[in-house]
Amino acid sequence: MEKFKQNPIVKKLGFNRIILCCVLVVMYIMFSILVPGFAGMSHIMGALNYAYFLGFLSLGVTFVIATGGIDFSIGPVMFCCGLISGYCMMSYGVPTGVSLVISMLIGLAFGLWNGYLVAYWTVPPFIVSMASMNMAKGIASVFTKTQSVSWPRSQDPAGWFRNLVKAGSFPTGMVLFLAVAVVCAIILNKTKFGRYVLCLGDNREAVRLSGVNTKKWEMLAYALCGLLVGIAAIFFVGAYTTVQPGYGDQYNNEAIAGCVMGGTSMAGGSASIAGTVIGVLIISLLQEGILALKMTKDVQLVITGLIVIVAVYADVSARRRKN
Amino acid sequence: MGEVILEMKDIDKSFPGVHALDHVSLDVRAGEVHALMGENGAGKSTLMKVLTGIYKKDSGSIKYLGKEVEFHNTRDAQAAGVVIVHQELNMVGDLTVAQNIFIGREPRKGLRIDDRKMIEDSKALFDKLHININPREKMSHLTVGKQQMCEIAKAISHNAKIIVFDEPSAALTEKEIEDLFVIIRDLRSQGMGIIYISHRMDEIKVITDRVTVMRDGGYVGTLITKDCTKEDIINMMVGRVIYEKPKEHSMVPEDAPVVLKVEHLTAGKMVQDVSFELKKGEILGFSGLMGAGRTETARAIFGADPKQSGDIYINGQKVEINSPEDAVKHGIGYLSEDRRRFGVVVGKTITENSTMAALDDYMKGPFIDKKKELDVTQKYIKELATKTPSADQLVVNLSGGNQQKVVIAKWLVKNSDILIFDEPTRGIDVGAKNEIYKLMNKLAQQGKSIIMISSEMTEIFRMSDRIVIMCEGRKTGELRIEEATQELIMDKATRQMD
Repeated sequence: MEKFKQNPIVKKLGFNRIILCCVLVVMYIMFSILVPGFAGMSHIMGALNYAYFLGFLSLGVTFVIATGGIDFSIGPVMFCCGLISGYCMMSYGVPTGVSLVISMLIGLAFGLWNGYLVAYWTVPPFIVSMASMNMAKGIASVFTKTQSVSWPRSQDPAGWFRNLVKAGSFPTGMVLFLAVAVVCAIILNKTKFGRYVLCLGDNREAVRLSGVNTKKWEMLAYALCGLLVGIAAIFFVGAYTTVQPGYGDQYNNEAIAGCVMGGTSMAGGSASIAGTVIGVLIISLLQEGILALKMTKDVQLVITGLIVIVAVYADVSARRRKN
Repeated sequence: MGEVILEMKDIDKSFPGVHALDHVSLDVRAGEVHALMGENGAGKSTLMKVLTGIYKKDSGSIKYLGKEVEFHNTRDAQAAGVVIVHQELNMVGDLTVAQNIFIGREPRKGLRIDDRKMIEDSKALFDKLHININPREKMSHLTVGKQQMCEIAKAISHNAKIIVFDEPSAALTEKEIEDLFVIIRDLRSQGMGIIYISHRMDEIKVITDRVTVMRDGGYVGTLITKDCTKEDIINMMVGRVIYEKPKEHSMVPEDAPVVLKVEHLTAGKMVQDVSFELKKGEILGFSGLMGAGRTETARAIFGADPKQSGDIYINGQKVEINSPEDAVKHGIGYLSEDRRRFGVVVGKTITENSTMAALDDYMKGPFIDKKKELDVTQKYIKELATKTPSADQLVVNLSGGNQQKVVIAKWLVKNSDILIFDEPTRGIDVGAKNEIYKLMNKLAQQGKSIIMISSEMTEIFRMSDRIVIMCEGRKTGELRIEEATQELIMDKATRQMD
């Protein structure tokens, strides 16, 4: 085992990520045995639809967690984006393209707001995001007069944006998701922003005393998260059409689960985009499998909860061993 | 000295990739103070961690009070009477002295904590140690020296037979160290075995009976303190090290330009109306007792803490410094006294730490130029003789002295002209210490200007061209090295205390 871990190829790919890929394959085989026809295209598409929006949420929150923070508002903010921009389109006749931009801007605004409070006012991220979660729900409800919003169907000319998720039977969403993930990985590992985010997650004060404007970079991490949440909203409505006010909480946990499972430490300072992508795929496959097994969503909630605990426990105990 | 009460024999311990302890032996008698010496990374702490059950030994035996023992954790060890007084104090500031001493094992009366008994027991402990501390006082109101005495009281309250002092004097003033020694001698006369870890050679001569020296995880030898010289011990620790000679006169020409001028700086309680000048190529020593406001002055200049008033001039130009970012832009670098908290990012590599302050110079478009970054890091690893297998090594794996070199490299990569070194050799072993002295002299010769805050008198005399003395937040004196004496400095450093 040790020898396997020290293998240069394994080191490059990351031992944890290899294990995660194995988990993904085993889960797929398991569901295929348990559910007749699971191996077919429709279930895979189902899992992927779920993976897109969750993936963008998870990529976003990876940056926030890397700073040592947390964001519990991503799910409801995503709904807020989908509701307000959708309402603009359906009730005020705003063109589709503009609505998509509005969605991203709303996400970005929430991200900047969270980041500003956390970085400059030093309000604990837990509190800030809890407050934002409720604000997002409230604002969306007021704006849409507590009605759900249904985005245009694909037959509708205004529904062209659905091609972003699926063009015919081609999963464009997967291509876009992976493309954005690659960009995120480059940002995290090759740019100044990524470097400072990871360093300040490890030891904020030492970074500040090196003459780095830690507040700015920390705020930007939340802002980037917000922008990705705005994009997530587009893929949510692209796959599921209807958004209801007052919901979205459960996606927080799933996005965070995908992130920590992939090896991003809740303590901050280390993060893996590839890990997040695989983590998201596992969660999505899990939810599709559970639905296919005719179990309720509640089962999935329990399992996601357990995943978070096990993943964080694994991280904590690995750190302890290192010390 | 009485009979042997602790015998560690052929202790062996390996971590992945490191043979941390290579058949080390140590025996401690009742009623002796036994020094454990060695450079950082020699294995002293590991040996003590094996003793107190934090680490499990691979092989070897520990005999305590005539019986073979193996403690599984510190609690086990405490219960048996083997305790450590740590270098960093483990006290809860908001609790009282008595609550801290009995934390986790409060005496009870029914369901309630018996406060009265706790306070009386604490008093009895302090009486035994002949020290005067009010058990009702809040821990955070005590000086560092007093807090340490509470640690000692806590230790002996476990009916300790063996007490390990891990660099107890690192944070204490001369007076506090004297008080500590009175207590240690007292404990010795009560028949306890004391293991004393320190880097300060003078103390070893004064307080210990025997010395065991370790090097690179191995056992080098045990000497009787009064029969050996400092040089003997140093030779055993590192081979021959020749210290930089104390300066006899300033190396800076009279007409050297002033690079930093601080006028009437006031920041919080600890910095009151401080003014001074720093010349090009000068090492300006800042002397004073712990809590004199020297670190606070440095932090205020560097923009790490807000200041109320005062002006800072760099090369004659008035500058606004409101954050470390501003300070770094104006060419100031700050090396903190607390390396792990304020100096290095331990979970990151040497490379990432080295270019932290100067990352803007290591960009290629929007991306970090990893090749250039690696080159400069390797250049400074070589120049500062940082001991590491590669530039990719995580800083957490380096010894204290090498971590310090990484922080210095950070400011050299940034090419800062004014360097503030706050206790640059704290917790660093003899060999590495001298390397840092040499380096500082070299930097000064190259025209960098250095402010060196130090609590070690020998260091102040060895390095400074000029000395500023502070006491209780005020500057109480300024001496050229030619006119400075130890007495004169101590006099100024305690001026406002009486």
